[in-house]
Amino acid sequence: MAPKLSLNTQAILLLTAPLMAGHAPSSPDLLTLVEYNFLARHLRELQCRPADLLAADGGELLRACQPVIEEGRLQRLLARGFLLSQVIERWEARAIWVMSRADAEYPRRMKGRLKEDAPPLLYGCGDIRLLESGGLAVVGSRHVDEAVMEYAMAVGNLATRCGKTLLSGGAKGGDQAAMAGALEAGGKVLGVLGDSLEKSAMNRDHRNVIMGGQLLLISPHDPGTGFTVGNAMQRNKLIYALADAALVVSSDSNKGGTWSGAVEQLGRFPRIPVYVRSTGEPSQGLDALREKGALPWPNPRDTDELEALFSATCRNRAESIFS
Amino acid sequence: MTYLAEKSRELLRVGSGFPGAEFRDGQEEAIRHIVEGRGRLLVVQKTGWGKSFVYFIAAKLLREGGNGPALLISPLLSLMRNQITAAQRMGVRAATVNSDNLDEWSDVEERFGRNEIDILLISPERLANERFRTQVLARIAGQISLLVIDEAHCISDWGHDFRPHYRLLERIVRSLPPNLRLLATTATANNRVLADLATVLGPKLEVSRGDLNRSSLSLQTISLPSQAERLSWLAEQLATLQGHGIIYTLTVRDAEQVAGWLKSRGLSVAAYTGQTGPGREELEQALLQNRVKALVATTALGMGYDKPDLAFVIHYQTPGSVVAYYQQAGRAGRALDAAYGVLLSGEEETNITDWFIKSAFPTRREVAAVLEALEKESDGLSVPEIMARVNVSKGRIEKTIALLSLESPAPIAKQGHKWQLTVATLSEEFWARAERLTALRRTEQQQMQEYVRLPFGEHMGFLVRALDGDPCGVTPPLLAPLPTSVDEVLVREAVAFLRREGLIIEPRKKWPDGGMPQYQVKGFINEGHLAQPGRALSILGDAGWGGVVGHGRSLDHHFSDDLVAACAKMIGEWNPQTFPTWVTCIPSLRHPDLVPDFARRLADALGLPFHVVLAKTDPRPAQKSMANSTQQARNIDGSLAFCAPRLPRRGPMFLVDDLVDSRWTFTVAAWLLRSHGSGEVWPVALAQAGRD
Repeated sequence: MAPKLSLNTQAILLLTAPLMAGHAPSSPDLLTLVEYNFLARHLRELQCRPADLLAADGGELLRACQPVIEEGRLQRLLARGFLLSQVIERWEARAIWVMSRADAEYPRRMKGRLKEDAPPLLYGCGDIRLLESGGLAVVGSRHVDEAVMEYAMAVGNLATRCGKTLLSGGAKGGDQAAMAGALEAGGKVLGVLGDSLEKSAMNRDHRNVIMGGQLLLISPHDPGTGFTVGNAMQRNKLIYALADAALVVSSDSNKGGTWSGAVEQLGRFPRIPVYVRSTGEPSQGLDALREKGALPWPNPRDTDELEALFSATCRNRAESIFS
Repeated sequence: MTYLAEKSRELLRVGSGFPGAEFRDGQEEAIRHIVEGRGRLLVVQKTGWGKSFVYFIAAKLLREGGNGPALLISPLLSLMRNQITAAQRMGVRAATVNSDNLDEWSDVEERFGRNEIDILLISPERLANERFRTQVLARIAGQISLLVIDEAHCISDWGHDFRPHYRLLERIVRSLPPNLRLLATTATANNRVLADLATVLGPKLEVSRGDLNRSSLSLQTISLPSQAERLSWLAEQLATLQGHGIIYTLTVRDAEQVAGWLKSRGLSVAAYTGQTGPGREELEQALLQNRVKALVATTALGMGYDKPDLAFVIHYQTPGSVVAYYQQAGRAGRALDAAYGVLLSGEEETNITDWFIKSAFPTRREVAAVLEALEKESDGLSVPEIMARVNVSKGRIEKTIALLSLESPAPIAKQGHKWQLTVATLSEEFWARAERLTALRRTEQQQMQEYVRLPFGEHMGFLVRALDGDPCGVTPPLLAPLPTSVDEVLVREAVAFLRREGLIIEPRKKWPDGGMPQYQVKGFINEGHLAQPGRALSILGDAGWGGVVGHGRSLDHHFSDDLVAACAKMIGEWNPQTFPTWVTCIPSLRHPDLVPDFARRLADALGLPFHVVLAKTDPRPAQKSMANSTQQARNIDGSLAFCAPRLPRRGPMFLVDDLVDSRWTFTVAAWLLRSHGSGEVWPVALAQAGRD
């Protein structure tokens, strides 16, 4: 199931997205998240929506936005309509959809938890119903040993047996191991990618599981974007935002995306519980996370024990909200 | 943006070359609508009304107002060349990018960068081209201020001329934001097509529609079953008809044959087809400037070709639909008081239009074969790689791929150079659409046969009604009908002409992709082991010798002496040098005597000795059951051998076979003969197999 492309999403794409159709440089005018948030607030005050910028009489509205974003810049961005149609066609041909914060299908967890930090656009390939399923996030750094890989796979497998969706970042190492564990057991997996959605969507290993509704890949970045460290770190925030609980299977100390994502999450409110692996080879990074408030993974052995962990999670969250 | 009426009229006057020119009904309203950005517009006006003035003037006004360039998408190049010239007169800087001017692509890009292009004209096929999209269009797409879709009826599934690549356009239009200016134009759209366009282009579509009647055109239909009769009629009438015109044929082969015949009768004509190559522009000019009496053309000379004083349009065969006929015939008499639109109807036309209908969509077997091959390769396949894996012809593979990749969502997509499966499956809607369109084509075909049977005087009314126009203003034809009889002497000469033509068999220079493993050869064929350019007497089943060859192969199992004489005559006229000193032939296990018997008699007729030196060592399926060249090459690999103790003669020889198709048999046989020290090998075939 894919969302229908809305007028609001079209407008937000024109304003903020690089619209990568090939090797061309993207517009230097693109609105940053902060700028877009200013504009969105201003539009709300005017009792307008982004789609209104595209109307036949949109010129007046552009002038009314002048105090927030310069009119000429908005015009240049919004004039990229033909380019927009080109990239959307390319995405659609590859079964990639796009939605925006203004759409009803946009995941409520993400909007509620991240507020204006929630990415204005989400690109994806697969059944959007997985977006609202919550579940267990498993994250880890790229370079892990065989034992940690097996551990992550086992956790993925367990999540599936309990009927929980597994969320991860799709990176090599712990991420992919956890996802593979869940997929092999026939479970549902939500991969939140920091780059290369188009390539991942076309990857043959993903094809059957996406078609079967088992795997949903999403990304806040243009499907053609390649890997950057910044994007990879930013993507971790989204994994936590969509999950009910998170388990860090490995992390460096004081550096790397897994570390900073977990630390950021531990400082957020309301927060979801962040667990760290508590068996096997000890790790400096994981110990440091525990000092910052991460919980030791209680190693649930069966469905009941994992269920209990999730119910406790809900209770904790309720308490933290009402306390 | 504000519309400048004065400036607009000034552009019209400069562009048309008439200082007193005024806009026609609806033209100025359309330009104003676009410039002011009042929403999407569909203009339905007959050819010659001046649709191009609307988009050129609108594009120019937009540019002067500081907006980006326009992009025009149109199916045919002939339109573009004429229009670019017209645009230049108005000071509109137009450019085109197509497969013929690859070397100019970067220049066009640079001119875009310097803001020196006002309108870019491209074909829908170009728009679907991955390389063009990612390397050229991606850089400029962000500035396009107006999208013009010419011949917009092609978008409609119900249009007579539905083109698969317009499906891509449909998808692009559906995802265009409403603030982008869009103009769609067409000369012909019945109510069903209009409704379809409204669905694609949006509910707020504004429509400007003119009337369909062409009072200057005198329409007539004549049934002349055989090609020889029609050739004779053409030669006779063309000698006396006033003015210059177009003769339309359904196939490239017919266009070339008709042109060849008329030339042999001293008439100044030329063939114009999709295969004419870079000479097309020169031919268009020649007709525009009345330097030829007529062009004998396929639909490649199509939409948008504008010669206001075209005096006649004659059809050599009945086209598949009323809309196609109306568009082609409607080119005549735009600026003349009277012109002819004559439709000749012949026995082969139904077969040809049937073939077009049947081959428009891939079969379920073809689709399954291609998808299965891709399923097995997780990294995807190129077209040559698919050819090596599935027994489907190259043309059919390409058609299958094009149609599948234009679905939305598409089950396959191109990543880099290879086709890959996507996460989408092909929907049943694809087959439902194919069936619906096929049924529609059948109805259109029948409607044209009804048209053929109409009495003189009723044709225009029929066309206008069929197109949902208003037949009230239709007036009787102004010209008297042309004679419907033919000269019997001329008919006999036409029969002789049809039997005279030989076809060149070009030698293959390269082994297939992956080589011939059993013969252990690959890459380019050694220069000294190539065949010479050969000759085929006919095309299997054609109106000349092709029918006799087919009869001999499948019914008599014997080739008649007439064919021996015709072949000997062809060889005499051809007279290859150095002239061969002996004759040999291609062996067969299925029909061991058919070809040797013929070759022996041909050798006698030529006064040359005949020797068997090649043998078929391994029974293989018939070459005609192999659907593409790679499969045919593999099917031959290792199955032919040199069987004589030594060469009977060293000199050059004729190498005879009945049918030539992929040319692999001749290629392998020539290579074997030459590797054993023979002289030059000159292939001779009775017929060339017709293939899509």
